Amino acid sequence: MTKKSPLYYIFAYLFLGVFALFNIIPIFYMIVGSFKTEQEYAASPFALPEVLQFSNYSKAWEVANMDVYFFNSLLITFISLIVTVMLGALAAFFLSRFEFKLRGALYGLFLLGMLIPIHATLIPIFMIMKNLSLLDTYLSLILPYTAFHLSLTIFILEGFMRSFPRDLEESGVMDGAGIYRIFWSIILPITRPAIATVVILNFIYNWNEYLFALVLISSESLKTLPLGIANFVGIETASLTLQMAALTIALVPIIIFYLLLQKQLVNGMVAGAVKG
Amino acid sequence: MHTLKKTRLAIFVGLLPSLIIYVGVAILPIILSLYYSLFNWDGISAKVFIGLDNFGDIFQDDIFWLSVKNNVIIMLTGLIGQLPLGLLLALLLNRSLKGNGFFRTVGFIPVVISSVMVSLIWGMIYNTEYGFLNSVLGVIGLEGWQRNWLGDPDWSMLSISLAYIWQNCGLYMIIFLAALQNISSEVNEAAELDGATGLRKVILITIPMIRATILVTVIYSISNSFRVFDLIQILTGGGPAHQTEVMTIYMYNNAFLSRQFGYGSAVSILILLFSLIVVVIANRVGREKD
Repeated sequence: MTKKSPLYYIFAYLFLGVFALFNIIPIFYMIVGSFKTEQEYAASPFALPEVLQFSNYSKAWEVANMDVYFFNSLLITFISLIVTVMLGALAAFFLSRFEFKLRGALYGLFLLGMLIPIHATLIPIFMIMKNLSLLDTYLSLILPYTAFHLSLTIFILEGFMRSFPRDLEESGVMDGAGIYRIFWSIILPITRPAIATVVILNFIYNWNEYLFALVLISSESLKTLPLGIANFVGIETASLTLQMAALTIALVPIIIFYLLLQKQLVNGMVAGAVKG
Repeated sequence: MHTLKKTRLAIFVGLLPSLIIYVGVAILPIILSLYYSLFNWDGISAKVFIGLDNFGDIFQDDIFWLSVKNNVIIMLTGLIGQLPLGLLLALLLNRSLKGNGFFRTVGFIPVVISSVMVSLIWGMIYNTEYGFLNSVLGVIGLEGWQRNWLGDPDWSMLSISLAYIWQNCGLYMIIFLAALQNISSEVNEAAELDGATGLRKVILITIPMIRATILVTVIYSISNSFRVFDLIQILTGGGPAHQTEVMTIYMYNNAFLSRQFGYGSAVSILILLFSLIVVVIANRVGREKD
């Protein structure tokens, strides 16, 4: 590769540096602010706190019901994720390893979901949940989270399973194993890399989801983290440092998760965006 | 081989649960939306059939057209803001620079955190009294520039666009970077042997090589722009005086705040139609050049 002039490197680092600062400063500013008292913050918003005020955190944790939100988010995220991946893997198995009359049509139907903006379904889903008396329950979120992520899950898993050689199942058939046995003990184990991708994708999408929660959940005790924290900030407008502490509490787990699983997460989200 | 009947049953049983949930919660609502859009309905009392009147009313509502205009602004923000910025960053990171990994990690953070967090963080930046932006302006002596970033109709849409760029630019950076790294080194070497270097090489060789990826990101960016909701709902709720309303917010406000379910459904059908039309056109234009 040809050597670039020093001027190029100065420009590159300058540009990247500004970009990095642009990304970090808002978050850094928020974390620093969360350790200040309200007076300290109002007097000098950029100074480092004199004493680290953990009181903002204990207060935010209590006032904002953070434990309830975290619990709800974890529960809804994981149940939806498990249901989506199990059902999606099973559907992908039949769509990729069998020939039957409606196969193409069904596959196309499932892919259609990636084109639908969820906003176009919001009012009917609200009415359906209302009529089924499911409004304001965990299930009212689990069902849409599952339904809308089945498309991408099936798309990724079907593509992966299709690439296996045809004779893979034959040993199982020889042993007299049933179709579900073959799925469970032959196909599913070798699909693991693709399963990991869809698990991460489903996790991050469900964990971050806001619109369905906003429309379908109203009880304080059922709110998920994004909904709960958005409401908290909307109500607690008087104390910016308290808001910052609550936001930091919500932010830290996802940042840690990201740093730990960076490669898989980035690859998964890129695949999700490019294919979706 | 399995007996045919048994296989058929297994396929049926295996696909049924996914199909029920998927069709019931994702497909059926589209059809219901279409149906609801023909009625005057508050979601509680009896529906009154009014044909296409909802659509007529929508097209005569200035606020709807304002929201369409804002959707176009968001779309252009994606196309002229996020994509070129992402491409430039990817081009810079495609060389072996020290700290490459750091910039990639940092660049992707806004993509991973929820749009709610992004919105709340930017709400803090734009806060009139104690916000980051106004404080910075105060410190560097530009008090005159301080303003109510989200409340001032001249600035609110611009402020939202900036936050929107922040939110997604890292995603495009990573997508482009992956595409750039797929260009074989032979192509690069051949280009350099022919004397194509620097900007010339980028425009003549690199960009055409990743055309397919650019097309994908353009379509993704367009369809994404029609789905913007969280950011605006949390930052401004569509205000001040509808100045930042986009179609999704217009739909939400009409349906869930004003209880006009029929009217809201008609809007949601239009969102679906508009986004499909623009995506199809972008697809056509992109393919034609091949």
